[in-house]
Amino acid sequence: MTLPTSLDEAVAALAAMPAAVPVAGGTDLMSAVNSGLLRPAALVGLGRISEIRGWQYADGNALLGACLTHARMGRSDFAALIPALAMAARAAGPPQIRNAGTLGGNIANAAPTGDALPVLAALEATVVLAGPDGTREIPVGHLTAGHDPLRPGELLAYVRAPLLHAPQTFLKATTRTGPGRATASVALVLDPARRGVRCAIGAVAPMPLRPLEAERWVSGLIDWDGSRALEPEACTAFGDYAAMSCIPDPAEGELPLALAHLRRTVAALARRALERALS
Amino acid sequence: MTGPDAVTATPTATGGGTTATTNPASVADKSYGLGASVPPADADAKTQGVFPYAADLWAEGLLWAAVLRSPHPHARIVSVDTHAAAEMPGVRAVVTHEDVPGDLMHGRWVADRPVFAKDIVRYHGEPIAAVAADHPGTARLAAAAIAVEYELLEPVTDPEQAFSAEALHPDGNLIRHIPLQFGDPEATGEVVVEGVYRIGRQDPAPIGAEAGLAVPRPDGGVELYLASTDPHADRDLASACFGLEPDRVKVVVTGVPGAMADREDPSFGLTLGLLALKTGCPVKLVATREESFLGHAHRHPALLCYRHHADAEGRLVKVEAQILLDAGAYADASSDALAAAVSFAAGPYAVPHVFVEGWAVRTNNPPSGHVRGEGAMQVCAAYEGQMDKLAARLGLDPAELRMRNVMATGDLLPIGQTVTCPAPVGELLKAVRDADLPPLPADDDEAEWLLPDGPAGAGEPGAVRRGVGYALGMVHMLGAEGYDEVSTATVRVQDGVATVICAAVDTGQGFATLARQIVQEVLGVDEVRVLPADTDQPPAGPAARGRHTWVSGGAVERAAKMVRTQLLQPLAAKFGMSVELLTIVEGKITSYDGVLSTTVVEALDGKELWATAQCRPHPTERLDDSGQGDAFVGLAFAAVRAVVDVDIELGSVRVVEMTVAQDVGRVLNPRQVEARIEAGVTQGVGMALMEDLRTSRGTVKRPSLTGYALPTALDAPQVRIVKLVEERDVVASFGAKAVSAVPVVTSPAAVAAAVRAATGRPVSRLPIRPQAAVAKPAGA
Ligand SMILES: Cc1cc2nc3c(=O)[nH]c(=O)nc-3n(C[C@H](O)[C@H](O)[C@H](O)COP(=O)(O)OP(=O)(O)OC[C@H]3O[C@@H](n4cnc5c(N)ncnc54)[C@H](O)[C@@H]3O)c2cc1C
Repeated sequence: MTLPTSLDEAVAALAAMPAAVPVAGGTDLMSAVNSGLLRPAALVGLGRISEIRGWQYADGNALLGACLTHARMGRSDFAALIPALAMAARAAGPPQIRNAGTLGGNIANAAPTGDALPVLAALEATVVLAGPDGTREIPVGHLTAGHDPLRPGELLAYVRAPLLHAPQTFLKATTRTGPGRATASVALVLDPARRGVRCAIGAVAPMPLRPLEAERWVSGLIDWDGSRALEPEACTAFGDYAAMSCIPDPAEGELPLALAHLRRTVAALARRALERALS
Repeated sequence: MTGPDAVTATPTATGGGTTATTNPASVADKSYGLGASVPPADADAKTQGVFPYAADLWAEGLLWAAVLRSPHPHARIVSVDTHAAAEMPGVRAVVTHEDVPGDLMHGRWVADRPVFAKDIVRYHGEPIAAVAADHPGTARLAAAAIAVEYELLEPVTDPEQAFSAEALHPDGNLIRHIPLQFGDPEATGEVVVEGVYRIGRQDPAPIGAEAGLAVPRPDGGVELYLASTDPHADRDLASACFGLEPDRVKVVVTGVPGAMADREDPSFGLTLGLLALKTGCPVKLVATREESFLGHAHRHPALLCYRHHADAEGRLVKVEAQILLDAGAYADASSDALAAAVSFAAGPYAVPHVFVEGWAVRTNNPPSGHVRGEGAMQVCAAYEGQMDKLAARLGLDPAELRMRNVMATGDLLPIGQTVTCPAPVGELLKAVRDADLPPLPADDDEAEWLLPDGPAGAGEPGAVRRGVGYALGMVHMLGAEGYDEVSTATVRVQDGVATVICAAVDTGQGFATLARQIVQEVLGVDEVRVLPADTDQPPAGPAARGRHTWVSGGAVERAAKMVRTQLLQPLAAKFGMSVELLTIVEGKITSYDGVLSTTVVEALDGKELWATAQCRPHPTERLDDSGQGDAFVGLAFAAVRAVVDVDIELGSVRVVEMTVAQDVGRVLNPRQVEARIEAGVTQGVGMALMEDLRTSRGTVKRPSLTGYALPTALDAPQVRIVKLVEERDVVASFGAKAVSAVPVVTSPAAVAAAVRAATGRPVSRLPIRPQAAVAKPAGA
């Protein structure tokens, strides 16, 4: 295991040992190692690279270090910047895990239940990748979907997320009171500058889903220069619309009961998320 | 720089961690002896990290074992080729059924289970072969290198299909059938309600790793270091399988990190012993979490169909039930579980006519066995569901309907046995019914409200409905149906220090603490050591069904009393008074008149006193062909009121409070009683809301602690003990009843009742799935 203290060193270490695997908080990686699913030849620890453990501002965006922990993102100063990401971070597992688990790990792991992912999708965030040939920037979804995977020696360095200065919500259903993985989650952000509501549904599919038509429909109803309030019926309709687009009716026959419940859950979450953002 | 998050998801004012208020009357200010909150004997060792868990065992030159388990629930084994594994460097032995020198089949109740599968595998995870190697990694790789050719067979996974399916085992698919007939089959009530209930597969999920060590002995025997809950039974299984005389096998009980069931896969000690005997080296085995989930016994999944008849006032007239227990592939404790299910099918209610058909059947599902409250828990969920239905039909308050039917001492159980022990069921129900309800968040601080779905979850106060539900439950104590209940204990005193030797295993239930308290009480000495259990000691039987307080505790008390007599007799004779007139307190012996005053140490005068005694409660009998017989030694009862919050849009449930009143006979250790009730309630809440080991066509899905949800501190409700009824059971040792099992039995039914009340939904399946707890808001 090597413990570089800068991004350049880390990239160099990875380039020098192509079989090495980066490890940040280790909350996903080490459980895979412990259960025998993974036997990395070497590890490059990212925990000492202070330049990617905090955040900076760049032209109306925040540049979030990949090694920001969930615990750090959950604090109130961060919540003032990107409220939905803070809410997702507070919901991402028990405190021990949130103290260690990182934003970059959550993205690189790309689990369907990764709580940061629907928020990043709603924000239309991008990732900055650092590699032996310099950096490049791609949408988060391209990386998580595997369209444009990490190249040899490449690291996730930063996430670029817009600062929208408007209400945001993240709601996660787990079916239990204690910490648990999402059965469904909804991230919803208001973008007053672009006069849009953007929403992403997590955990119901391998990737967060964007109900684009529902977003467009509801964005058109909102009086962006006025109170932004909507009738309850409109919020309900938005929830149903969003849920239906993620979990459509099957071509034939009835939706299985468990899926019907999931759709109801998504509808309730999307409605609640919109109501809270507009209230 | 980022630092650890100091703000964690702490329980709020209205919920979270498990705390309990004790019945003030039961709090004794004594610091030792019976009735005192003597701290658990193993508490220091556990907090200091020196408790001898089986996974920490070590022996010079030990080898590591790994077990090859079947990935299929049902298959014919065409061939097993161990050559590649045996030839791997570092591998010292590979064993299959061919290497078993003694009995090929074993079982604590019925010997119907092969040590290693021979021709057929009958469940996912059944052991086929085992390897010993010089490194755990090598052992696992070698086990994986054993080539098994399977011919897949259709698994029988629906217990209803087991009756007509081809026999899965030479013993057939029907493990036991009890047709209970009590009263007049023609009797009918004015009101009839029917219901079908389904209970899932709860895993005992012991958190400590399952592990063991076998050490060969120079005399050709073997010592097994196991976290055994019944060392003599485990020794007998092992010696039969090794083809050795029982005294050549010794089971030494290592620290048991908590058990609410027969802890591990019963083949554990057998595998270890075979490998140690074959290699001549110590062999250690530590099960992975996945193996634990596959191999050990689970709670019986059940299908229950009920019809309750009542008169217009809600008095029960007749209960008819069909109960089907899924035993998995082998009999194990299924016969016992079925007897309890059938006997308690109507619950702690007086019912003149009861007709029950009960079956335990063989399937290719994961093995079922003894998990506390077996049989009794499943029927409680069903008969209490029926009581709620009946109350709704009659427009009666659910607590009132129950009150009209409660059983009392002198009533008959449907098995024809008279309830002779205290049965304060009405008093228990009254205590929980009359207890204050927890405050509504509106009255409290709404911002502090812990919602269903957790502190950072999606809960919405406007969608939350509160529900209150009741359940009454009962269990039997001790082995039933003619089981030879007996335990033996030895007490020694020297230099004012007492030692207890008894093979009763402290599984975390507190037996060692209790043994200390008993000896303190009888002999008046403070320092009492309880030796670890092994099979060189006389048998004490399994740590289950609340036995050890009664049977082993009783034996300890008798032995201590014999020592007391030996100690005081000479003194009494010298002073011309009887032994009864002398008392011992804190090591000082005094006579009633104060004339005599000495100390235990002086009275011993350097001598060592020993006594051994047995306790054997009165015998029971097997249920006959119509399910009749005096099958049980004693019964214990509880009433639980559950208060839940349900987000009726998401169907998520949070248990706000569990209010408990329990029939305990006598409180021997207040703190311990409280802890046992809290633990039992929490396990019951797990059964009600989340614990279910899922399978797909017999294959276990996600056998891990991520896949199998257990209650965490946030899921665990506030447990409020409002009453401990201390009506002595005159036949029980100390008048005390078992406390651990009945809260497990009763709590799931109470949670289901509360969710019914909150949602208006039938809630007939446990654990309760979110889709069964969603409801339309009132007026919509
Ligand atoms: C008990 C438990 C509960 C959990 N609950 C939740 C939950 O509720 N919600 C949730 O979203 N997640 C949850 N997780 C998953 C996990 O904690 C998160 O996904 C976390 O964000 C992972 O971050 P990490 O730093 O620990 O990743 P690691 O384990 O260190 O790494 C994960 C993967 O990402 C790669 N990686 C890490 N950092 C980088 C980088 N900078 N560049 C390139 N590759 C990188 C690693 O090589 C590895 O493949 C839980 C995990 C556990 C064990």
